[in-house]
Amino acid sequence: MTEPSRERTAEDEGNTRGTDVELVGDAVTINVARAALFAALIGAFSYVSFPNPVSPTPVTLQVLGVFLAGIFLGPIWGGTACVLYIVAGILGAPVFAGGAAGFGVLVGPTAGYLWSMPVAAFTVGMVVHGGFTPSDPKSNGPIRLVSAMVAGTVLIYATGVIGMMFTLDLALSEAFITGAVVLVPAEVLKIAAAVGIVRSDAITAS
Amino acid sequence: MIELRNLTFRYERRSDESRARSHPIVDNVSLTIDDGSFVVLAGPNGSGKTTLVRHFNGLLDPDAGRVAVNGRRVSEDVVAARTAVAMTFQDPRDGFVAPTVRADVAFGPVNLGLEREQINQRVQEALAAVQMGGSERQRIDRLSGGEQARVAIAGALAMRPDHLVLDEPFVGLDEPARQSVLERLEALSTEGMGIVVVTHDLRELCDLADRLLVMSDGQIIHDGPPVSVLDQLSGEVYVPC
Amino acid sequence: MLTYEPGSSIAHRLDPRSKLAVQIGIALAAFSHTTPRGLSFVTVLTGCILAVAALSPLAALQEIRYALPFLVAGPLLSMIVLRPPWLAPPAAIRPALASYRVLLVLLVSVAYVRTTRVRESRAAIQLVVPGRVGRLLGVGVSLVFRFLPVLIADLSRARVAMRARLGTERRLIDRMRIVATTGVRRAFGRADRLGTALRARCFAWNPTLPTLQLAPRDVPFLLLAVALITWSFV
Repeated sequence: MTEPSRERTAEDEGNTRGTDVELVGDAVTINVARAALFAALIGAFSYVSFPNPVSPTPVTLQVLGVFLAGIFLGPIWGGTACVLYIVAGILGAPVFAGGAAGFGVLVGPTAGYLWSMPVAAFTVGMVVHGGFTPSDPKSNGPIRLVSAMVAGTVLIYATGVIGMMFTLDLALSEAFITGAVVLVPAEVLKIAAAVGIVRSDAITAS
Repeated sequence: MIELRNLTFRYERRSDESRARSHPIVDNVSLTIDDGSFVVLAGPNGSGKTTLVRHFNGLLDPDAGRVAVNGRRVSEDVVAARTAVAMTFQDPRDGFVAPTVRADVAFGPVNLGLEREQINQRVQEALAAVQMGGSERQRIDRLSGGEQARVAIAGALAMRPDHLVLDEPFVGLDEPARQSVLERLEALSTEGMGIVVVTHDLRELCDLADRLLVMSDGQIIHDGPPVSVLDQLSGEVYVPC
Repeated sequence: MLTYEPGSSIAHRLDPRSKLAVQIGIALAAFSHTTPRGLSFVTVLTGCILAVAALSPLAALQEIRYALPFLVAGPLLSMIVLRPPWLAPPAAIRPALASYRVLLVLLVSVAYVRTTRVRESRAAIQLVVPGRVGRLLGVGVSLVFRFLPVLIADLSRARVAMRARLGTERRLIDRMRIVATTGVRRAFGRADRLGTALRARCFAWNPTLPTLQLAPRDVPFLLLAVALITWSFV
C-alpha cells in the first residue's frame, strides 16, 4: 500500500487540472461497487424472515448472502463484502439481525458468527472457483457448490458456537443447543435455494 | 471542446475475433461539440446514443478513431476528460455514493484532492445552481424524484466541468420535476455551461437547444439547428417537439 | 432499527475516535474483570456514558432486545443438570455474569450509534486505517449506508409481488430462492450502474482526507479509555 507522491506526478504531467489524481482502476472500481452492494444485500437479508420449520425463531437469509457473495464475487471480493458488512454495522448501519448495529455486537452472543463471515465467504469462493479468480459459477457442478456451502456452514456454526462459549461463558453442549441446533436445519434449505439461484439463468454476472 | 474523429465501437461482450466482424454500435462517427453549446442527442432506443456519449469522458474506449477533450486525447488524461465532461446517468438513484446530499455532491471534488474550503465552496455553488441550497444534511432517499435528479446534476457540476452530459435525465420524472430540471438546464446554459442531453423525449428541449443531433443505427443522420432538423425529419420519424 | 439521531448531548459533540476508544476500553474491562466487583464498576461507567449521550437505560435496552433471549437463555441452560435435583442455580452464576458484561458492552455501543453521524464514523475509519485499505473501507461503508434502504425496498417489493401472485403457497425453499434471486439481480444491476457513476466522478485512491479535530472535551474520555485498557491488562 504505497502512496505515490503527488508532487512528482503533478510535475511529470505538467497539467494544471487533476493530473495528480490516482484513479482507482476500472476492474477494482466495479468490484468495490459489487462488494458494497453485496454487503448491503447481506444486511437487507436480515430484514426478510421466513418461518423456521423446526423452531419458533424465524429464519433470515444472512448466511445465504454470505455464500452468494463467495459464489458470485469470488473469494477476495466476497470476503471483502463481508468485511464491509461488519464494519458498516459496527459504525451504525442497522445491518445485523433484528436491525441491530454497533461495536457491541462484535463481542455479543452472535459475535462468532459475524467474525466467521469473511472467512466463510472466502472459503466458499475458493472451493467454488478453485482459486482466487472468479469463474462462471454455473460452470461448476452442483456437488462442488454444495460442498463449498457445507464447508461454509460448518465454519460459521463452529465459530458461532465457540463465540457463544466465550462471550456467554457456556459449556459446549449449552452453546450448541442455543446457537446451532435450531438453526442448522434451515441452512439445508438455504443451500438448496442457493444451488437453485446459481443454476438458474436469472443471474448473469460477467 | 469535445472532438470525435472516425469513432467506431463494437458490442463489448464478444471475443476478439467475432468482435472485428460484429456490427458496430457506433459506426465511424466524427463530431465536434463546442464549449457553451446546448446539444440534444436524439434517436430511437439502441441507436448508440449512450455508447457515443460514454466516449466523451473515457468511460468506454473506442475500437477505432480518437476522442479529444480540450485538444487532449482522452486516453492520455482520463482525469482531465472526466473533469471537463461531467455526466449524469439514467436513474440517478444508483449513482449516489453516500447517504446524505453533502457527502454525495462532495465526492467528485474529494477525489480531485482539493482543499476542504474549496470543496465546501463547490458543494454550495453546485447545490445553489440546481436550487437545492440548504439541503446539505438531508438524506438522499428521502428526496423526491425531481430533487434527486437535481442533486445528481449538482454532483456533476461540483467537478466544475466545461460540459454537462445528461443521459436520459427525464425518465421516471413527473411533469413538475421535469420542468424543474429543464429550468435549471436553461439557467446553466445561459451562464455558458456546455450541455448535452441524450433523450428520446424532445418536448420543450428544441427551444433551449441550439443543435439537434439524430442518431440511427450507430450513425449521426441529422445534425443542425433543431428547427431545420425537424423539418428534414418530418414524415420520416415522428418526433414530438 | 438502531441509527443515528441528531441531538445536542455531550456525546454528540465528541470526536468519534474518542468514542470508539471508550467502547474498546469498556469491552476489554468488562471481559477481563467479569467479577461482581469489576462489573459493578463497569455498570456505573455505563450509566455515566448513557447519561453523557442523553439516553435512558430503558430506551437503550429497547434497542438491544434482539440479544436478550440469548443473554437469558445462557444462564438458564447452565442451571439444568441431567440428574436430580435437575436444577443447580449456582452453576448459572458465571454465565449470568458473562451475559451481563455483554449487555453492558451492547448498551455502550447503542450510545455510540445514536450519537455519531455516518460521515464522522467514515472519517474516523479513513484516518485510523491508512492508505488504500482505509479508502476502500471508507467508501465501502458509505455505500452500504446508502444502498441498505434501497435493497430492503427491493426485497420487500419482491415479496409483495410474490404474494400478489400467490407465491406464498409455494414451498419455503422456493420462496427463499425467489426473494434471494431478486436480491442478487438487483445488487448486480445497481452495482454495475454505480461502478460507471464512480468512474465518471474520478473515484481515486488519494482523495482529500476528511478532517476530524480532537477538542479539549475529548481529553477526559481518551484518558478514561486509556485507563480502562490499562486496567484490563493488570
